[in-house]
Amino acid sequence: MSAVSLIARDELRLMRRNRVAVIAFALLVLLTLAAALISWSHQRSIAETRARFQAQASEAFEAQPDRHPHRMVHYGNFIFRPLGPLAAFDPGVDAFTGNSMFLEGHRQNSANFGDVRQSSLLVRFGQLTPAFVLQVIAPLLLIFLGYGAVARERERGTLRQMLAQGVSARALILGKLLALALVAALVGQPAMIAFLLIAGQPGALAGPMLVIALGYAAYLALWAIITILVSALVRRGRDALLALLALWAVLVILVPRVAPDVASQAHALPTRLETDIAIAHDLHKLGDSHNPNDPFFTAFKERTLRQYGVTRIEDLPVNYKGLLAVEGEKLTSRLFDDYANRSFAVQRAQSGLNDGFGVVSPAIALRRLSMAAAGTDLEGHRRFLTQAEAYRYDMVQRLNRLQADAVSYANDTASDAGADQRKRISAGHWHEIPPFRFKSADAADLVKASVPGLGLLLGWLILAGLALLPVARHLQKARS
Amino acid sequence: MSLTATGQRILLSDVNLSYGNHPVLRGLSLHVDAGEIYALLGGNGAGKSTTMSALLGFARPDSGTVLVAGHDPAAAPDKAREQIAYVPENVALYEHLTARENAAYLLALAGRQPTGDAIDGAFEATGLQNAAWDKRLGGFSKGMRQKVAIAIALLREVPVLLLDEPSSGLDPRATADFNRLVHDVARKGAAVLMVTHDLLSAADIADRIGFLESGRIVDEASAQGEERFDVRELHRKFAREVVAA
Repeated sequence: MSAVSLIARDELRLMRRNRVAVIAFALLVLLTLAAALISWSHQRSIAETRARFQAQASEAFEAQPDRHPHRMVHYGNFIFRPLGPLAAFDPGVDAFTGNSMFLEGHRQNSANFGDVRQSSLLVRFGQLTPAFVLQVIAPLLLIFLGYGAVARERERGTLRQMLAQGVSARALILGKLLALALVAALVGQPAMIAFLLIAGQPGALAGPMLVIALGYAAYLALWAIITILVSALVRRGRDALLALLALWAVLVILVPRVAPDVASQAHALPTRLETDIAIAHDLHKLGDSHNPNDPFFTAFKERTLRQYGVTRIEDLPVNYKGLLAVEGEKLTSRLFDDYANRSFAVQRAQSGLNDGFGVVSPAIALRRLSMAAAGTDLEGHRRFLTQAEAYRYDMVQRLNRLQADAVSYANDTASDAGADQRKRISAGHWHEIPPFRFKSADAADLVKASVPGLGLLLGWLILAGLALLPVARHLQKARS
Repeated sequence: MSLTATGQRILLSDVNLSYGNHPVLRGLSLHVDAGEIYALLGGNGAGKSTTMSALLGFARPDSGTVLVAGHDPAAAPDKAREQIAYVPENVALYEHLTARENAAYLLALAGRQPTGDAIDGAFEATGLQNAAWDKRLGGFSKGMRQKVAIAIALLREVPVLLLDEPSSGLDPRATADFNRLVHDVARKGAAVLMVTHDLLSAADIADRIGFLESGRIVDEASAQGEERFDVRELHRKFAREVVAA
């Protein structure tokens, strides 16, 4: 057996004989399993609830009686974002961004009812998910089990003894690293079991799952290397523990908490109130379809009359009010899209800056990878918003066109006793509006989105691995 | 290399070694032959530990020649260390392992795979009580640890044994036991170099005693006849040349 395997085997034997280490390891394994089960069951319940509400909302929309189409524009419809199966592993921003939207004419609503807004503030400290356990707790266990790996040998004099026996410092470091890496692999095992559970779910994606598995393996391997590096650099085990805990606090807790604040300071988003005022101001500038003197709508009216070769709107073969609604929705939607795009540009800049902190914190790089591959990152949220808006626009314009085609101008402007009944169209039209179907990103897109995070993590891994070389050389010369 | 081979096993020739601007060894020359026990006596700061470090390849001489069984420890530390069994002043063994496990592990690291019987035989030779063989080292005395270390050294069957202050902290009986063991090792052909400031222990087992002062040998005495050494004379030399320095 090689010196590396012998040293690794002895290190594992030491851990096995350390009751506290065994208990800590068992607790972490149980915690990961519990997190996997809780998270899986939570996500299933969310998915079922959303599917039920979606069915209820669709049913209520389709159950509307014969009505004026514009009443249906304002009646609107609720849609819910279905969760991908990998969200059980890493729910990402889902708890913060909201998952349902009310779609109606003349306005774009934001997503509502994120878990954060529905539960206590404690959820902000991190939900108990397999991703959270592996990102935050698992490095602590590796630190706890490995801080003394090399420092202890130096402190007790066995390092010199070992080197004097002809064992190279490189073999010593590799042996210790191998032992800690095996522990890391065991730590990740329950999460992989959770993964297999998830893989049994419809819609699970092999490519993104593989990237996630690779990312977490690289992250835990990185912490194993960092732990051994510090243990080899510091003379005393106690100092190694303190240094590693400080590193953990900075890299896993502090930087990931500070980075979003820095990003939001650097790329400030206007407040909701500011946006609402600005939109109202711009809407006013667009024109007022009810104002006979409004220049835009006067021009629109003349253009329409010219197009149909008539001189009065009463002579048009279509309902002018319907055409006006189509045009108005087109204008306001363009404006809303513009604001939404600007807001997303800022959010993307914030996200980019935040992701850039992955250069100094591997935890950020891993979160980026994990959320991107699970489809629960900001881009996943934007995908939902974009599809929701496209659906809303299509639904509203279908109804507006129904107003133009199926309700006559005369009836639409009438106010006699039977007018209300004549303005109504058959409820069968509502059934023809297709239901909202969220199209989640395909595997290739998710993998592509997670590549930068994976690249950063692999960069960290290579750097840390290279740092072991001079440390081994330094250790080889250890005189004490 | 077998323990029965003869010839020069340890050689230091005109060795100068400094830590930064501080010279520690200044022209140190000595040699130890196969089967010979050499005691290097010196006070604090004389350069005893640095001599050990140079032989183990932990310190690189500025000039001069250091050879261990023909290998230069500075140029080829792994090759030199393969030839050395080293017992430090405070024997460093693994507390979480039993005496047997310590021996098996450290020997395996040195590329040896002794049988359980061979390990038991070595423990028996060192006088380590049977009851201690399967106990973890947590409760072991210094003497017991040294016995484990010597057993490992015996099983390694290397041509060079380096002992750093071996009698420090041992009671007279344990010292006598230890000396007997070292004699046994030397009789089998190993070159033994011990650094110590225990003159009586050195006089008891050494074939030659070198007095180290300020990084060089200032006097040397060889064992002669039944009496081996004139201890009074040695003491006088030690007080004059080493302690006074």
